Amino acid sequence: MRKAAAVLGVIVAALLVQQNALAGPEEDRLAFVAYFESRFPEIPFAQFANGIYAIDSDARKQWLEIEEFPPYEFAVERGNELWHKALPDGQMLADCFAAELPDIRGQFPRFDVASGEVITLEVAINDCRIEHNQPSLAYDSSEMIDLTAYLAFEARGTKVDIRVPEDQAGALAAYESGKRFYYSKRGQLNFACADCHVASAGQWVRADRLSASIGHTTHFPVYRSKLGGMISLQKRFAGCIRDVRAKPFELQSTQYRNLEYFLSYMSNGLEWNGPGARK
Amino acid sequence: MLIMALIALAGCSTEFERRFDEAERLRAEAAAAGSEWLETVSLLEQAQQAASRDDLDTAMELVERARFQAEMAVKQAAHEAETWTGRVVK
Repeated sequence: MRKAAAVLGVIVAALLVQQNALAGPEEDRLAFVAYFESRFPEIPFAQFANGIYAIDSDARKQWLEIEEFPPYEFAVERGNELWHKALPDGQMLADCFAAELPDIRGQFPRFDVASGEVITLEVAINDCRIEHNQPSLAYDSSEMIDLTAYLAFEARGTKVDIRVPEDQAGALAAYESGKRFYYSKRGQLNFACADCHVASAGQWVRADRLSASIGHTTHFPVYRSKLGGMISLQKRFAGCIRDVRAKPFELQSTQYRNLEYFLSYMSNGLEWNGPGARK
Repeated sequence: MLIMALIALAGCSTEFERRFDEAERLRAEAAAAGSEWLETVSLLEQAQQAASRDDLDTAMELVERARFQAEMAVKQAAHEAETWTGRVVK
């Protein structure tokens, strides 16, 4: 009898663990927000959109100085020109999108039922170009970065509101895949994204402090001073993966798109504030 | 004497190919699990280059490093499949 009770106890405990791990997206997000608000009670929720500059006051002062003459401004201007330049068939990129400015940035990432995949802003731009018989842009090309910088700039002040429709199994599966990626250790250094950006957020890594994951996706593309140029969110993913000595995935791979989907959902309620400037 | 040396060299070369194939099989398994490490392919390439210039000591050392990395990456993926949920913020 005692043995049977013990076995039952183990089964119940296992089911509870499983249930927590498979909590729905909104339960995940609320737990995520609560965790960071508990870790950093002095930081107002909206400030998490500013990444490490919400946490590190000295770095924040430098960042505010940089924002006086934003290094991403040229990218925004070029993106504006590209966005408003007619394609060879006379159509505009804007004609491919269901929303209008400033809301185009906020439509992505989204789950597309027809293809069964997460569509990011970059993929949507290339889909549009292909539809109009134009070659795809490389995902780290200056044209792609400029276009996304412009759309991010236009979206400033609007709220992140990524949807994971719970009645769409594919959307939930993509979200869960991104969540698993985020929490799984990888590479020779055996680190998960969460090891640095949840458990160690705010801690020093050599001369830098680790940012909190909440708000990670709101401000891309960013101008990185150490690189002297703009990079996309997924290029940053690849950098982190390489830093833990794992082999990075291709930009816009299923893995990175699902990760972007999960992380973007975690930032719901914050403002889009891209493009950004970082060290 | 020369024939003996050639036979020994051929044996090493065959052993290298066997170890190389094993390392490559494990690397592919790690990649399929989305868990490949950064340097494994580079180590395999360097091992092949060393073998092609008949530097079999170096080739064996490099292929063993690659095999070890690939094996650890496979184990890491299997371990994470069982444990990642324990890290989820609740």
